[in-house]
Amino acid sequence: MSISSQAAGSSRGRDWPKHLFIIAVLAVELLPLYMMWQISFKDNSGFVQNPWFPSNPLDWKWGNYAYAARLILPYVANTVFVAVSGTAITLALALLGAYFFARYKMPYSGVLWSAFMVLMLLPGIANIVPLFVLLKELSLLNTLYALIVVGVAGGQVFNIFVLRGFIEDIPKDLFEAAEMDGAGHLQQIVNIVVPMSGSIIGTLSILAFLGKWNEFLLPLIVLRDKELFTVGVGLIYLDGEYVKQWGQIMAAYVLAAIPLIAIFLFTMRLFVKGLSQGAIKG
Amino acid sequence: MALPISRAKAKREWRLYLLIVPSLIMVGVFAYFPAASAIYHSFFDWQGGENKQFIGLENFRRIGSDGVLWSSFATVGALIVFNLFKMIPSIAMAVMIHRLRSDRWQYLYRVLLVVPMIVPGLVTLFIWKFFFDPNLGLLNRILDATGLKSGLVQIDQWFDWGVFSAEAPIGWLSQPDLILPALFLWGFPWIGAVGVLIYLAGLQSIGSEIYEAAEIDGIGPIQKFFYIELPLILTQVRLSLTLLVISTLQGYGLQLLLLGDSGGPGGRGMTPGLWMYNRAFIAGEFGYACAVGMILFVFILILTLINNRFVRVDK
Repeated sequence: MSISSQAAGSSRGRDWPKHLFIIAVLAVELLPLYMMWQISFKDNSGFVQNPWFPSNPLDWKWGNYAYAARLILPYVANTVFVAVSGTAITLALALLGAYFFARYKMPYSGVLWSAFMVLMLLPGIANIVPLFVLLKELSLLNTLYALIVVGVAGGQVFNIFVLRGFIEDIPKDLFEAAEMDGAGHLQQIVNIVVPMSGSIIGTLSILAFLGKWNEFLLPLIVLRDKELFTVGVGLIYLDGEYVKQWGQIMAAYVLAAIPLIAIFLFTMRLFVKGLSQGAIKG
Repeated sequence: MALPISRAKAKREWRLYLLIVPSLIMVGVFAYFPAASAIYHSFFDWQGGENKQFIGLENFRRIGSDGVLWSSFATVGALIVFNLFKMIPSIAMAVMIHRLRSDRWQYLYRVLLVVPMIVPGLVTLFIWKFFFDPNLGLLNRILDATGLKSGLVQIDQWFDWGVFSAEAPIGWLSQPDLILPALFLWGFPWIGAVGVLIYLAGLQSIGSEIYEAAEIDGIGPIQKFFYIELPLILTQVRLSLTLLVISTLQGYGLQLLLLGDSGGPGGRGMTPGLWMYNRAFIAGEFGYACAVGMILFVFILILTLINNRFVRVDK
């Protein structure tokens, strides 16, 4: 990597025009983030007077955050519940499924594989109306479980697809040795597959978690009670209010992002690396 | 690849099938069943409850003369063209970062690229909605401060659009004629962090000897892009192009949140997906919504088939 990039750069002597371009683009890209942060400390009049720059830290309206926390933290808790359990179940089931496809060419596994892959072509949107009715019949409407099960089902195809490739690359000797020692398939998954494909499982988990955190269409259709709202629906509700206190709204946005910030702080390296890896494979 | 297995051994290993059962059940119940149900119900007059009435092809006949639906296809066509254009900055960004000499800067820029991902997509969307606000919004402030607005007003008078006027703030999301331009501007500068990282991964596979050879031949930076770099990320570009077209065609979340469930003023932001949502959950015409979904499905299927035929994605 280092060799090729050095060669790539050395051809044209100067790098600063590239730096300039990249920094300019990144600055615009990060502008919404900056605006969100600095407006979250202002009230409406403060924002009108001084829209661009952060206000004096002594004047920061921490009340915005107190208000936003009361409003959004219950929604954050709901979303954490849905996203964590949804991600865990999605990955667990996908791991079992991918192991099935990757280990042996079992009779009918080709047919089953097509049955999964054809769903990639099926647009989720054509399903949403019957899905709503199905959830109603299962009396899952207006529950968080609806979001979890639909998320788990929706995540199977992609995750099985990616994981299968990684499991097939694990040296077969490892499995054979484990089998000699009398390990069953579940033990092989736990002791061989999980440690050997840790980084891709991590990357897929982050992607799944992000997806669930950003989800708002399904919760919007499924959830009715305010106590059950996820962050997505909560923010939409906030957006619908008539007189908008932008400072409070921005503070709520910041709070809605905090769990993601925490995750990225811990997994940035893994994410930047794992994604590139997965891209080459998949 | 998975190992071949003899019939006798497969019989002994029957327990393996148990591993696929949970996924199969989930997919069966929450993907296959709704899909079948959508096909079935597209032939019914159905409000979502117990009562339904078989009406044959009536829903599809209605689709044929549904002006809103067909103009929404025109809108989504425009959005697809916009989105294709919006792929360019990500590619340019990846190439720029890749050509940097210093690994440390490369890494720093990658991290900075990922930083906006900490903000939930929905929040980015709402912040943009706020940018579009006529009175408080950032966009109008920038246009005012830089004097670009008076330029727009001049052009407006020239062509007699009647969209921009010197007295009133620009209503990006309230003027029917500005809906599409606003949807185009949305998300500027259109950098997708995941996309850039994936392109970078592709670029990294270029060996240094290729660059050295190119250098000896005296190839310029633009030729370098078209002859060396683009071919190597073409797989990734094609793949994201395909996903982009399909997701734009189905998409309605953006329009729903920015413009509301009837596609904004004049319905200019109406997409087929949003129309389906509107028919089902606003009008309660579930059967008709299923039929619209079928039409969408057929469109997407045709696109996918064309794509598989002509745009080869080599693994």
